[in-house]
Amino acid sequence: MIGNDVVDLLQASIESNWKRKGYLAKIFTTEEQHIIQNSKDANATVWLLWSMKEAAYKIHNRKTKLRNFAPSKLICKIDYLRNGIMGSVSSGGEKYYTSSEINLNYIHTIAAQEQTQLAYISTSIYEIPYPSDYRLSKPACISHHGNYLALVYFANQGKC
Amino acid sequence: MNREEIIALLKPIVITYAPPSAALDHINEESDFITDLKINSANLVDIVLDVEEKFDITIDNQSMEKMLTVKAAIDVISDKLNEK
Repeated sequence: MIGNDVVDLLQASIESNWKRKGYLAKIFTTEEQHIIQNSKDANATVWLLWSMKEAAYKIHNRKTKLRNFAPSKLICKIDYLRNGIMGSVSSGGEKYYTSSEINLNYIHTIAAQEQTQLAYISTSIYEIPYPSDYRLSKPACISHHGNYLALVYFANQGKC
Repeated sequence: MNREEIIALLKPIVITYAPPSAALDHINEESDFITDLKINSANLVDIVLDVEEKFDITIDNQSMEKMLTVKAAIDVISDKLNEK
């Protein structure tokens, strides 16, 4: 199982005011809030952590068959590496591995149950208008937000 | 406050964050915030914060976890009001 999540940064700035009193504390652990406060670009860090939680939740939810809204129970760790942003998300004894791409327009995170699986995930990102038949390509996970549609495929399962 | 009174105060909050849709026109206790009303999950937090302000209650994370439907939200609000 793999998961993904895309955040359209313009759309997020219209839809959400994370500076609102109490907002961050409902979503992020104390440690994550420190990461946000100490980062050079707090806005990007908020949505990076959020996309990691969402991508991991998509696996966690299918695996546990539990549906809930408990973002602060999905605990993120970030490693800024030269070739990208790697990380992990832990929840209830489970751990998921993530890789994220950030640019000026969007943040996209992919998540997998094993770190080695990340290399086998391929991603297609489209802007509106999306191809109408995108489901025919049988993506393993789909995320859309604002102007963007992100599809991921897991090469090991022959879904590429 | 009974369930009708709670839902009357809850509806305008939910409408703020939901895109226009037929499901929104027919919002009821069974409506699911994400699957029916298409509310962005990042905005669920806004609904929780607005509810806290409107009803003057504190919603702990354990209660927030359940708030995926109008019914669950009413249950949480009702419980918190009774605790006051």
